[in-house]
Amino acid sequence: MADAVLELDRVDVAYHGDIRILRGLSLKVRPGVITGVIGPNGAGKSTALKALYGLLKPVAGDVLIDGRKVTGLPPWKFIDNGIALVPQQRSLFNELSVEDNLRLACWSFRRDRARVEQALERAYVQFPMLRDKRRDLAGSMSGGQQRFLELGRALALRPRVLLLDEPTAMIAPRVSAEIYEFVHGLPGQGITVLLVDQNVRQCVRISDHLYVLELGQNKVDGSARAFQQDAGLRDLIAEWVDYRIDA
Amino acid sequence: MELLILNGLVNGLIVGGIYALVGVSLTLLYGVLRVVNFAHGEFVIAGSFLAFVLFSSFGVPPLLAVPIAAVVFFAAGWGLYYVLIPRLARSDDPELMSFLMFYGVSIAAAALLLLLFEADSRTIDYTFTPVSMQVGPIYVSTARLVALAITIVVSIALALFLFKTLPGKALRAAIMNPEAIQIMGVDIVRLSAFAFALAAALAGVTGVLIALVFPAFNPFSGAEYTIIAFIVVVLGGLGNPVGALLAGVLFGLAEQMATVFLPQAMAQIVGFVILVGTIFFRPSGILGVRFKR
Ligand SMILES: Nc1ncnc2c1ncn2[C@@H]1O[C@H](COP(=O)(O)OP(=O)(O)OP(=O)(O)O)[C@@H](O)[C@H]1O
Ligand SMILES: [Mg+2]
Repeated sequence: MADAVLELDRVDVAYHGDIRILRGLSLKVRPGVITGVIGPNGAGKSTALKALYGLLKPVAGDVLIDGRKVTGLPPWKFIDNGIALVPQQRSLFNELSVEDNLRLACWSFRRDRARVEQALERAYVQFPMLRDKRRDLAGSMSGGQQRFLELGRALALRPRVLLLDEPTAMIAPRVSAEIYEFVHGLPGQGITVLLVDQNVRQCVRISDHLYVLELGQNKVDGSARAFQQDAGLRDLIAEWVDYRIDA
Repeated sequence: MELLILNGLVNGLIVGGIYALVGVSLTLLYGVLRVVNFAHGEFVIAGSFLAFVLFSSFGVPPLLAVPIAAVVFFAAGWGLYYVLIPRLARSDDPELMSFLMFYGVSIAAAALLLLLFEADSRTIDYTFTPVSMQVGPIYVSTARLVALAITIVVSIALALFLFKTLPGKALRAAIMNPEAIQIMGVDIVRLSAFAFALAAALAGVTGVLIALVFPAFNPFSGAEYTIIAFIVVVLGGLGNPVGALLAGVLFGLAEQMATVFLPQAMAQIVGFVILVGTIFFRPSGILGVRFKR
């Protein structure tokens, strides 16, 4: 078995034009644990996630699933590989009902009715609130409820890997705590997690392995425990936390 | 006077239905693909010419031309998508480039129609029996009533597809949140090709209806329908199919009623006055639903 279920290998990514947002970035999502990615605003965390999920095609370097090169694989093929993404930007379809949002996630097996019903059921069991709201428009729910719908929708597919980009951004603190507990429990359900977060404290707390990104490059990486104990790294993190209003 | 008004209303509905279909296909195309199809009017008029050829060369009645146009244009749209759009996607600013590309397609399509059919205006000599029917106190040509009926059936079918089936919802979802639809496991390239094909099929069918409703058409008529389509799309709100259907009917009614109350030359301006007014006062369309990027 490869040491990473999903991996970026020395990846360069450019948006339009020649400016490289990611430069030689390498990142491994280790099986069965939570891998955290932190870094200041604009460091390229979301860009790295998009590159991992095929939403951006690297101009150099490779994307690997289970050690297999899949560079250039389009995003809709990732679901088939058991990899789900909850991006930083809201990914709901506001004018569709909660249930239709869930059904769309079942697109690749839409003709298998039993499987679709099972997936819906899984989301409703995970977050019972979704069942009560299943006929409501997704856009009519609160921010926290929308986040739970996004999580429920991703988990309905029984992914083996879940990529999360700032799951608690702009979410009330009490709901945030709930989301972190939930994410923390995912490896126990056999789900590997990649957590990109601006909430450094929480990310360090629940991750097993951490990557620090800066200016589209690897700054450091290591076990989360080492981060908590290493004074230099603590200072580095404290520096960001200080200039972060939301931390 | 009442008769004139009633006439205006009935014709407004008929013409408005056509405008609605022209607009709804353009708005779907823009919504899903974010391309601005300047050649839309030429697609539509090509449908009229298809009906013309089918009837004059093969004796196929216009009613039968409707499903034929749907199939032919669907296939052509599907093919055209793969010829045109991958090139667009590689450019730095696909939305802007789509303007230029489809402007080129429009010129090329009009030139091709001109080459094939020359500049003369064409009419389909097919007559329904009876030629006209009584609607309350007025008489309306059967061809126009048939066109209205087809418009209604097509609109209802389209609405059912968009709102009641999963592929239809996927199309609307792609309009609401284009990035998110990809992480649902939807092959966005196929979905876009389907949207393009569907829009082309609707355009082709609309062209057949135009051949029924209006006395004549020629290769230059395309530009006119492109403008009408743009007006309807803006009135209905960019990328809003229901808005486009309503806006088309409203626009047709306004235009036809204007011919009742205003001098001929003034009536022509009504559409533009409505357009400018909408842009000023309701920039997100008559339904006022803000279009989400
Ligand atoms: N669509 C885009 N086009 C051009 N540049 C972009 C685009 N998206 C992001 N960038 C740039 O890429 C860099 C990295 O952005 P990215 O969103 O990956 O950062 P991030 O680490 O996720 O930041 P944040 O903590 O704010 O979410 C930034 O400088 C940003 O301005
Ligand atoms: Mg980000």
